Amino acid sequence: MLAFHLIPYAVAAWLFLCGLYGIVTSGHLVHTVISLVVLQTSTYVLLLAVGFRWGAVAPVFADISPGVVTVDPVVQALMLTDVVVEATVVALLLAMVVKVHEKAGTLSPDDLRMMRG
Amino acid sequence: MNVKWRLGMFFIAGACFLFFYLIAARNLPPWGHYPGPYGDVISSLAVYQRHATDVVNAIDYDYRGFDTLGEEFILFTSIIGVMLLLRDPKPRGGTAESDEGLSKTVKVSAGGLFGITLIFGLYICTHGQLTPGGGFQGGVIVATAFMLVYIAENLRRFKAIASHPLMEVLEALGAALYALVGVSALAVGLPFLTNWIPLGTTGDVFSSGTIAIISASVGLEVATGFILLSYTYLQDIVSGREE
Amino acid sequence: MTTAPALPVAVPMLCAAFLAAVRKWLPRFFIDLVAVLAALFNLVLCLWLLHVSWSKSIVYWFGNWFPRGHMVVGIGFVIDPMGATLAVVAAFLTLLGLIYSSNSMESGKNHYQPLMLIFLAAMTGFCFTADLFNLFVFFELMSTAAFALCGLKTEEPSPLQGAFNFAVTNTVGAFFTLTGIGILYGATGALNMAQMGMLLGSRHDSLALTACLFIITGFLIKAAVFPFHFWLPDAHSVAPTPVCVLFSGLMVELGLFAILRVTSVIFGSSFAGAHDPLRSSFLVLGGTTAVWGGMMSFAEHHLKRVLAFSTISHSGLMLFAMGVGTPKAIAGWLIYVCGHAAVKSGLFFTAGILLHRLRTMSEPALFARGKGLKFTAVLWFLGGCGLAALPPFATSIGEDMVSQAKHGSLELACTAFFLVSGILTGGAVFRVFMRVFCGWGDRGPSDRAAQVDELPEMNEEHRTIPFRIFAPAAACVLAGIGLTFLPDLDSMLLDAAKRVLDRAGYIATVYAAPQNAGMAVGHHGLKIGTMIAHGIIAVACAWLLASWAVFHRSIPRRLRWPSHMEGSMRWVRQLQSGQPADYVAWAMAGVAALGGALFLMK
Repeated sequence: MLAFHLIPYAVAAWLFLCGLYGIVTSGHLVHTVISLVVLQTSTYVLLLAVGFRWGAVAPVFADISPGVVTVDPVVQALMLTDVVVEATVVALLLAMVVKVHEKAGTLSPDDLRMMRG
Repeated sequence: MNVKWRLGMFFIAGACFLFFYLIAARNLPPWGHYPGPYGDVISSLAVYQRHATDVVNAIDYDYRGFDTLGEEFILFTSIIGVMLLLRDPKPRGGTAESDEGLSKTVKVSAGGLFGITLIFGLYICTHGQLTPGGGFQGGVIVATAFMLVYIAENLRRFKAIASHPLMEVLEALGAALYALVGVSALAVGLPFLTNWIPLGTTGDVFSSGTIAIISASVGLEVATGFILLSYTYLQDIVSGREE
Repeated sequence: MTTAPALPVAVPMLCAAFLAAVRKWLPRFFIDLVAVLAALFNLVLCLWLLHVSWSKSIVYWFGNWFPRGHMVVGIGFVIDPMGATLAVVAAFLTLLGLIYSSNSMESGKNHYQPLMLIFLAAMTGFCFTADLFNLFVFFELMSTAAFALCGLKTEEPSPLQGAFNFAVTNTVGAFFTLTGIGILYGATGALNMAQMGMLLGSRHDSLALTACLFIITGFLIKAAVFPFHFWLPDAHSVAPTPVCVLFSGLMVELGLFAILRVTSVIFGSSFAGAHDPLRSSFLVLGGTTAVWGGMMSFAEHHLKRVLAFSTISHSGLMLFAMGVGTPKAIAGWLIYVCGHAAVKSGLFFTAGILLHRLRTMSEPALFARGKGLKFTAVLWFLGGCGLAALPPFATSIGEDMVSQAKHGSLELACTAFFLVSGILTGGAVFRVFMRVFCGWGDRGPSDRAAQVDELPEMNEEHRTIPFRIFAPAAACVLAGIGLTFLPDLDSMLLDAAKRVLDRAGYIATVYAAPQNAGMAVGHHGLKIGTMIAHGIIAVACAWLLASWAVFHRSIPRRLRWPSHMEGSMRWVRQLQSGQPADYVAWAMAGVAALGGALFLMK
């Protein structure tokens, strides 16, 4: 059953590779930024998989009594703030892309030759 | 670099990456059998120590509150960054942008949803310590409510709200309030960000001490921040379309 | 001690929020003043924290969540001398940068000052923290502020492209690090570095290796080590001068500091042993980076790119020192970081003076135009000597300590790499000195990257150089020399290094357990004769290399190889393609190679 236990980690690794593939083969700056979002989701899948417990409930005791077995709240807490925060970082990257388009007229990395060494 | 070389490099490196990841995962505890101890310790303590029933938010705003302060400032920094980068929108040539394009049904529904969304967002913000939610999520919902104004009306009406000078002040205030709550703990002689306010009764809205206050301030910051963000983008894009 | 450790992070953040709120209404002068005062406050406070941390590392628990038994519940700061020193450097450089840009530099409608303060707060928190996820959060905060600051000048498309390449590459690195943190959390169930180190123990299986590999990948990208370095020249050639100072002076070195902290506390027991694959990899990577950076530095003609590649080269030397790994080597690392920060910042500020007066950063365009700037020329020349590790610059002490750390072939390799890097990077600086300030030789070859013309950062012209622009450059160069004359420098450095490498002591500090009696702090006998000899050889060879390149027309064709190196190396330079896709592909290849080395040498 080892393969079964590896499923979420395999998914996380696959997502990570998909994101990297998107960046490495990108022909459009917005595509590069969205591939970064895919990379991000890979880390979320990993964190949530690490904290999971079969048969446990959510770590909210509003309607259950304390003492019931819950999943790990720490990884959820880590992820929670990350989601909103990385959305704004993506917004920052897209602002750069918008400005590049405004100044250079193109969004294809191959046509942007200013940084060539 | 040649695209073929790049792809070749990627496939070889990707295969190695997959290999490292999976043999590391083999040595992790089996999936679904989280062994603890960090999560279990906090789950068992949070209700008693902080009178908060939502353990995730108790971790976010109390046990690991300093992390969340840093994350909130990442959000704050990104929004400053976007305002910095898009600070000179191209001059608008024509008249005010027309209202055409969206059907009446969409506009009326958006207008009708504004109130419900706003109330829902405020509910989520203020009940973070009891049920899942909290400042980050509630703030995004409140910001979405204001985006509905843009859909229901037009950019001019949204601009009247979003470019109000108070908006930036409120955003900075939301960010500063979190740090000020931390400093207030310093003022009473406790380490930074200690939850020193009376904790109230578990299950009440006004419970769990500073967690509720921090959650509300984060909600303020995220809401105003996303409104500013949307407005900055809309201003740039719409003015561009006018050319 | 319930107030002070939190303030270096909280106060700049609060000031930044305040400045962001009032930026539209208060005059520029007031906003600059508040920013400068906040940086000054940080400098004074961090110096005081450094003073207190000498006798015993300061431990501070946020939210009053001190550990319960073995379980660390909250986030803590552990302020040891090395962390405090780096925080002092951060505050010093930010202060100088804010003074440099006060009232003159284009500030993006006053967005610039809050961003600098947030950058400072993030760097300070990064140095102090004892929690791995908190380290990641400050890493992200530092990076986000850096992305925004890098793209400050939006009038041209190149700053945006440079900032974009920087952002994509560093974000990929951050996600590698987060993946490693997730794997390590799954294995240990804790997030505090001391507790993780305790729980991981001497486990040396594939999980520990992979987690270590992924975590340090993000930091290696930040530290601009070959082959993760491609983003740095792009970012430096377009960022405003004070931002370049902070990047080269400290941000890159903080990546290395994080690697040092993580590998010594968390993986200290796991990677202990005579045959340590991690240390060997650092030696190889560091040496390669030092040579590569040096060669590319000499091949560039945009002043800031020359300095950027020299940062890469020196970062390689620092990684090499970490690869040697003994307390003496780490002590040398620390003084080299401080000395390099001073010298490199001085050079960048001097380049800023040139940009202010002569409106360009391209070496061919600057030919002979610097002849009237006498003091600037002196500063630039001294900077070159500092890069070549000439005594009395503090970089020479660093070189001496690292070389003497382990005798034998490692000492030879060390000396060789330091010399090669010093000659190449110092040679590049001297070449610029000869062409720009002395007007010798001819304009030299031009290239596309040199034509990335920077818009002047300041919006006024002066006949003389204003004090606020000249002072930071002079202050940095003087600091680079002054550090050498601190009393008891060698024993202080050794103490700081031993504290960082002392895993048991760190864990004991976190758990407030009684520690072993302080280890005997050794002394390091500086071989002053060797230092002077190495320094003079490096400077002489650098000068020779520079003149060989400048006077290439007077040399018989067969002997013209340095000018060939300067002009061609096309295939190598084309690797610096300006496309983030290439950079990420190289980073992946680096991860695969490093991982392969770790696993094969297990």
